[in-house]
Amino acid sequence: MAFLEVKGIRKAFPGVVALDRVDLAIEKGTVHVFAGENGAGKSTLIRALTGIMSVDEGSIHIDGRDALADRSLFDLVAYVPQELNLFPHMTVAENLFMPFDKSGFGGPVLSRSDLDEAARPFLERFDIHARPNQTVGSIAVSDQQLLQIARAATRKKFEVLILDEPTTSLTTREIERLLGIVRRLRDEGRAVVFVSHKMDEIFQIGTTVTVLRNGRTVGHRAMKDVTEAELIRLMTGDEVRLDQTFQPEVPLGEPLLVVEGLGGRGFRDVSFRLRRGEILGFAGLIGAGRTELMQAMFGYTRPTTGRVTIEGHRLKLGSPAAAVAAGMLYLSEERKLHGILPTLSVRENIGISVLDQICRSGIVSSTRENAVVADVITDYDIKTSSPEKKIMFLSGGNQQKTIIGRAMVRRPKILIFDEPTRGIDVRNKVEIYKIMKKLAEEGVGIILVSSELAELKRCATRILTMHHGVTSGEFEALTTDSDRLIGAIIGSGENRHVVD
Amino acid sequence: MSSTEVAPGTSVPLSLFARLAAVPLTGVITALVVIFVMSCFLSEHFLTPYNLTIMARTLAFVGLVTLGQALLLILGELDLSLGAIAGLCGVVGGILMVQLEWNPWVAFVACLMLGTACGFLNGLLLVGLRLHSLVLTIGMAGVYGGANLVATKGVAITGIPSEISFLGKGAPWGLPVPFMIMVGFLAIVSFLAFKTPFGRYVYAIGNNAAAAKMLGIRVDAIRVAVFALAGFLSALAGMLMVARLGTAQPSIGEAWVLPPIAASVIGGVATTGGVGSPIGAIFGAAIIGIIENIIVLFGVSPYWQSVVSGAIVVLAISFDSISRRYLRRED
Repeated sequence: MAFLEVKGIRKAFPGVVALDRVDLAIEKGTVHVFAGENGAGKSTLIRALTGIMSVDEGSIHIDGRDALADRSLFDLVAYVPQELNLFPHMTVAENLFMPFDKSGFGGPVLSRSDLDEAARPFLERFDIHARPNQTVGSIAVSDQQLLQIARAATRKKFEVLILDEPTTSLTTREIERLLGIVRRLRDEGRAVVFVSHKMDEIFQIGTTVTVLRNGRTVGHRAMKDVTEAELIRLMTGDEVRLDQTFQPEVPLGEPLLVVEGLGGRGFRDVSFRLRRGEILGFAGLIGAGRTELMQAMFGYTRPTTGRVTIEGHRLKLGSPAAAVAAGMLYLSEERKLHGILPTLSVRENIGISVLDQICRSGIVSSTRENAVVADVITDYDIKTSSPEKKIMFLSGGNQQKTIIGRAMVRRPKILIFDEPTRGIDVRNKVEIYKIMKKLAEEGVGIILVSSELAELKRCATRILTMHHGVTSGEFEALTTDSDRLIGAIIGSGENRHVVD
Repeated sequence: MSSTEVAPGTSVPLSLFARLAAVPLTGVITALVVIFVMSCFLSEHFLTPYNLTIMARTLAFVGLVTLGQALLLILGELDLSLGAIAGLCGVVGGILMVQLEWNPWVAFVACLMLGTACGFLNGLLLVGLRLHSLVLTIGMAGVYGGANLVATKGVAITGIPSEISFLGKGAPWGLPVPFMIMVGFLAIVSFLAFKTPFGRYVYAIGNNAAAAKMLGIRVDAIRVAVFALAGFLSALAGMLMVARLGTAQPSIGEAWVLPPIAASVIGGVATTGGVGSPIGAIFGAAIIGIIENIIVLFGVSPYWQSVVSGAIVVLAISFDSISRRYLRRED
């Protein structure tokens, strides 16, 4: 039996199954990689493994014993979250040992010199380039990252260490140093769980890999037996079922949107056209610059170069109000951050986007508003006990349908769907595909940003790939073979296409 | 109505308290009624026309400032310079009317415009420089308060023309004119908040400014407009106070900084933005007003007055917080 063994765990939240029949076996002396797109269930799985969250079904065994029965076993699992949560104005040693009573400094008086003395071996062991009495804010980010790992080590006699995307804010050389520490821990006989989106790192450090997609484990591989393309195929779920596609069945119309040489933070020199009735897919890995491009195009952020033209009229950049007035709408991937108005009712959430249309001489007409809201609730099959219910109490899928419905009542000409089906169950996914298809057939131009290749292949008429902030290829969704598409996504040179 | 009635299929039985708590304003209205009734018993001088007129008039001045502050809080912002704006507008009004001998009505309107401009400037600095409203308005309170002292050297300007004094002193049928003006603006602001796109955008921005921006709402323009409106309402309060006193006191507005914030919170406005209503805030201001009044009538030593009124304010807020917890349990 492996040191940490998970069998068939399941965890459901209202409206969404976050983990479903997940199996896992983590051996000591290995680096075990968790791979999967955002929303695949990695964080939920980590929360289950650390004992922070209870599970609905299944078993977790640590060191051969049932951890769900004896929760003290979870003390053998240390976890370092992705974001730094250190106290920047306190010293390295203080950060290392806080809370003090848990790390052997329980007395009423705290001696700084004792703390500093005790910190030294940890700093040495984890290769942290800092003095114990320096404030954390003054040391390098990479040292802060290592300090977080060291801090986990001071508190627990851990056998399993979970690192959640530890390298996102590090430079190449700093990553090398961190990977060195990971190797040392591995060679000392500990198990390290490593979560990362960076392929080169995964292949450099990993012993085994478990791939998650939509809350399920879709594959376990030894790292030496798997290729990058296969891994991406597993992560993005490239099983094209051509029997159920959602490409619009109308001829393409005139160009609606022309983007020329657009550049900004995270992307550069992007040019493309979107025609009426088209669903244009954007493929790429996380960090390829797709969301950054969309937000800049929409005016949520300000691009530095280039121009955007809608129906022959040049769009004022940096103003979402201007983009909306020109007929463009953006449905963000961050539903909570950019979508819902949590403490307002479903009615107010929908009404807000059409207030200018339902006014009678500057006054909101409740009759018209209620009519619009009732239509949206029926048309988009939003499950709510009343339009007056606060939207934060709806399930994720129903929140998403509310947001889509809200966008629709404005009758947009161009719609940007950024990861519209993330965290949404299969049935609701198909509903959203049908909505996109119907809209495209009515003459709306649709941009679909998705991390799921299968989704793009099922819906898009054309797919643009992005890699490191530039467009790396253009493909007809139904005709291209997957290998070349994946090649363009991971940026191998021979698949590079020139885009008009 | 019994608290044990449960509709079929309802999984969580709702107590009467929880059901009432779900209706907005229940908490603050209950607190207001309880405090009012208690005050009637505590002092025979409370429920007299004379005393009620005094309370209504006092409520009017703080209420006008509260309307602006409540709208700002709903927007997710805050303005600590509203009191200083009121004071500055008051003394500038005094200078224009007495020293420069302007027509009092022209001076009155000019000062309202000055207050609007001060609020507008606050809003412009906030969105232009992306400052935090708390820190920005502490600074601006210093600027406006300092300008007040520069203009007056701390000395009150006496001899305000009597043409405008009815605005502050008048009370036909026992209803003070400032109170009626405040009620009028309460109606206008409530209408703005609930029946116009502008007001709904204010709630949207307070809820989730990023989402509001994504919807194409002109977030910055609305922020500036609400600051300007709050500046206008404060200037009005300041000018009515000048009319009431017959002198332009440099100290006008000093007590209008924190009570409007406390009143808004008591009235159900969330300091985090997006929640609450202008009428709730006015009820909150009324609660504070009654408490302060009854403490005086009851003969509490002046040294103890602020201890008692502070404690009662905390009690009133706790009542709301507890009812909210019931509300959440229901969902």
